Amino acid sequence: MTSLVRLGNAMGAAGIAVALLVAFGLQFGLKELPCPLCILQRVALVLCGFGFLLNLRFGAQPLHYGLSILAALFGVAAAGRQVLLHIVPGSGAYGSAIMGLHLYTWSLILFVAVVAGVALLMIMGGRPDHDRSDHQAAMRFRGIHRFAAYLLIAATLANALNSFAQCGPVECADNPAGYWVAKYLP
Amino acid sequence: MTALIFLLVGVAMIVAVAGHRGTALGLFGVSFVAAALWLRHHMDSVLNLSL
Repeated sequence: MTSLVRLGNAMGAAGIAVALLVAFGLQFGLKELPCPLCILQRVALVLCGFGFLLNLRFGAQPLHYGLSILAALFGVAAAGRQVLLHIVPGSGAYGSAIMGLHLYTWSLILFVAVVAGVALLMIMGGRPDHDRSDHQAAMRFRGIHRFAAYLLIAATLANALNSFAQCGPVECADNPAGYWVAKYLP
Repeated sequence: MTALIFLLVGVAMIVAVAGHRGTALGLFGVSFVAAALWLRHHMDSVLNLSL
């Protein structure tokens, strides 16, 4: 069961990294820049992934799951706010719809799925890994687990770069029309 | 600002992988609070929830 829980955590971390990469794909493919609330939803995704990463590196512990749930609730607040901004008919929408739903709606569904997934992992987990030494936990951090963690770190740092290129050091425009960094490029 | 939050979380992840759990948790805490404050900053417009 422990290996299944570890696989679940690896899938959680990798799944979040893939969701962030899909968001990049849509941003560059459809040429639609993310709004400030959209970027905050990406922040929430990254914060959710941090709990999974800690479980992969140090063993599954309730504290790590709690961090993921907190981050998912933060994501629900950001995505829920954006859904409510556009919920009245005629109030418009932001970005293109994917399979009938806008990205912020998909995002809300994803955060609820993270809470459900964490609940399942906690039910399956049984005894926490408190008693494992750091050396034991480090030895088990390899293969697909290590790959999922590195993929998540790469996606996070890519988002830092993208966010800086789009918004600069301070604040994003509400309806971004271009990259902040483009002003300084020849 | 969001770039800084992403960077903080990225550093927290790298620190965690290197084995420094306490420092990583501290960095996570700072980035979470910063993200929450930034979300509050962007929740300034009035919601219209009915016609």
